[in-house]
Order: sequence, then structure tokens, then C-alpha cells
Amino acid sequence: MYKITRFRPFHTLLFLIGALILSGSAWSQTPDTSASERIYLKIEVRGLACPFCAYGMEKALKEVSGVEKVDIVLKKGWVFISTPLDQKPEKEQLEDIIIDAGFTPGKIEYSTQPFEYKADHLKQ
Amino acid sequence: MKLWIVLVLSISSYLMMAQGPPITTGTPVMLGLEGAGIRTFGKYIKKENASAYVHVFGVPYNISPKFQVGGVIPFKWVTPRGQKRVGGLSDVAVFAKYQIFKRDGVAKTFRILATLKQTFPTGDSRSMPALGTGIYQTALGLVLGRVTSRVGLYADGAYQLRSGGVTDDLVYNLSMGVPLLPHRYPQRQINAYVEFNGHYILNSEIHSLFLSPGLQYIGGRRILFEASVQLPLLQRNVEQNKSNYNVLLGTRFLFN
Repeated sequence: MYKITRFRPFHTLLFLIGALILSGSAWSQTPDTSASERIYLKIEVRGLACPFCAYGMEKALKEVSGVEKVDIVLKKGWVFISTPLDQKPEKEQLEDIIIDAGFTPGKIEYSTQPFEYKADHLKQ
Repeated sequence: MKLWIVLVLSISSYLMMAQGPPITTGTPVMLGLEGAGIRTFGKYIKKENASAYVHVFGVPYNISPKFQVGGVIPFKWVTPRGQKRVGGLSDVAVFAKYQIFKRDGVAKTFRILATLKQTFPTGDSRSMPALGTGIYQTALGLVLGRVTSRVGLYADGAYQLRSGGVTDDLVYNLSMGVPLLPHRYPQRQINAYVEFNGHYILNSEIHSLFLSPGLQYIGGRRILFEASVQLPLLQRNVEQNKSNYNVLLGTRFLFN
């Protein structure tokens, strides 16, 4: 039987403090202002109520070809992305991605102009 | 004791928005397809004649958006008063969760999961004190939760079948969570929880119920830290199994 008789609480505490400090580095995004040759999408994602759960949604959408950043407005259930015009994702593709992330797709809007919104990470 | 309840309820009445997963109660919101992470926490248990430290590693993985499997590996150190500390691997478990109901709205969701957990007697049950139960345990249960932009309410319960003629038991947990900082993503949040953790052993009238106020710090997209204190509200149990209090400190990390 595998046994451990020496537990080092101080080492455990140091690890947790170190991880806490590392987590402090910002993952915030900057707004995309490159308006030319891009298509902008406003996606309603239903069920996006838990901020810690939203990471899966962001990760999945970042894998869409041409997407460089994903902005989320949790309170409205909106997700904003943009891609080059020639890599415009189809609605069905995005709906599948949202379902696979564990959420429910709502309305998806396309625009050649950036949508006006204030991403959560810019609000104070 | 009542002060804690009044404090948490007062805060929640002013600041009810969404939050993270509860600390000592299951969450019905899973990680999404191929989502994976790790949860680890240490729990210090203070009893009248002994103290114990349990460190748990839990790894969930989503096979599909609705189906999650995982494993739980606990290590345990027990120090009876005036005696040498005993420590080692405790009882390892595997689990599966399946989403049986989901109703999503804008910034809100209500979900129910069916759960199955199988615990194996990998801990040494012959050591003094024992590190494992020495029996197989199969728990069938439900996890449900309603998370809105105002408050998160969670509950889980499981009926546990136990081998070796040991009486079956029932585990149940309730939780309410509220954030203490403005709602945003990527998050830099502090969430407050009030939770209740119950354990009832059938046919023996052994019943314990803990009140567990807790705090959770979400430092970014993929990591959070949490702490909770478990205070006994009810302990109908033999003296040696009664806890004075428990302290839990842990972290969760989502893989990229």
C-alpha cells in the first residue's frame, strides 16, 4: 500500500500563493478596430450565466478560422467575433460550436461594420 | 452561527448577480466538449480527539457536451491526540455525469444532471486510524442548479449503496452563491457562498449537517481559488466521528 507520512503544508501554501500571483497576469483583450475586409458577428449565446464556464465558449470560438479575439458581454449573453471576409463562418457552423460548448445558440447577426458594444473587460 | 447567516443573506440581497461554481456542492454546468480541468483542495478536519488533513485531486473530462467522466484521488493524514500521524492514499473514486435537462435563457440557465460515482477501497482500512473504508460504495444521484444574472442556487443529493453489509447512506448539499464584485468577463471576481452539507446513514439515525460559508476568488479565465469553513449545525453521531469544524482551501484550473 502506497503511504505518505510527511505532509508539507508550507510547500502547499507556497504553491497556492505562486499560482495566485501568476493568475494576476491580465488576459484581457483589446477592441478590434481593423474595419476593412472583415465581417463582424454578434452572437447570442443562451445559458452563459457563469463567468468561469464561459472559458469553454471563448476557447471554442477562437478555433474558428480567422477569429483572433472573442469579446463576451455576459449580462446580455452576447459574444462578438470578427473574421476576414473570405473566411466568414456559416450560421450552422457557429451553432454547432455553441452546442458543443454546452450552451444554446440564439440570434446570429453579421455586419460589415463593427458592432457597438462595451466588452466586459472594458467596463469599470 | 446566526451572525454568519444574517451577514451572507444581507450581502446577497444587495449584490445578486452570477457567480462561479459552488464550493461544497455539485455544479450542473459542465465544461463543454473535450473540456478538461483539475480541481484540488485540502480539507482540515478538527475533532475532539484527533485532527485530519485530506487532500483531494479531481480531474473531470467532457466526452460530449452532455457527458462528463472523471476521477477523484484523495490522500489522508490522521493525527490522533498523543499518537503518531498516519497517512497515505485514501479511497479512490471514478464518476460520470449526464445532463438530463437543460433550459437556457439570456444570462440564465437551469440544468439537471444524473450522477454515478463508484468508490474503491484503495485506502488502508487496517491501519489505526483507518485511511479507507474497506468497502465498495456506489452513489446514484442528481445535481441541479438555477443560475441567473441575480443569484445561483444549487442542490445535489445521492443515495450511496455500500458493500460488506454496511448500511447505505444519503449525501445532500445545498448552495447559494453571489458575487461581491461587478459582473464581467474575463473575470476578476470574489464570490460569497452559503452552503449546507448533509450526511444521513439509513437505519442508524446517524445524521450530520454542516453550515459552510465560503469565499471564492476567480483570478482569470482559467483559474479560481476557494475557501470554506464547515460548522456543525447537527451531529447525531458517535463521539469519535464528530467534527468541531472543517476548513477547506482549494483551487480549480481549466486546461487550455
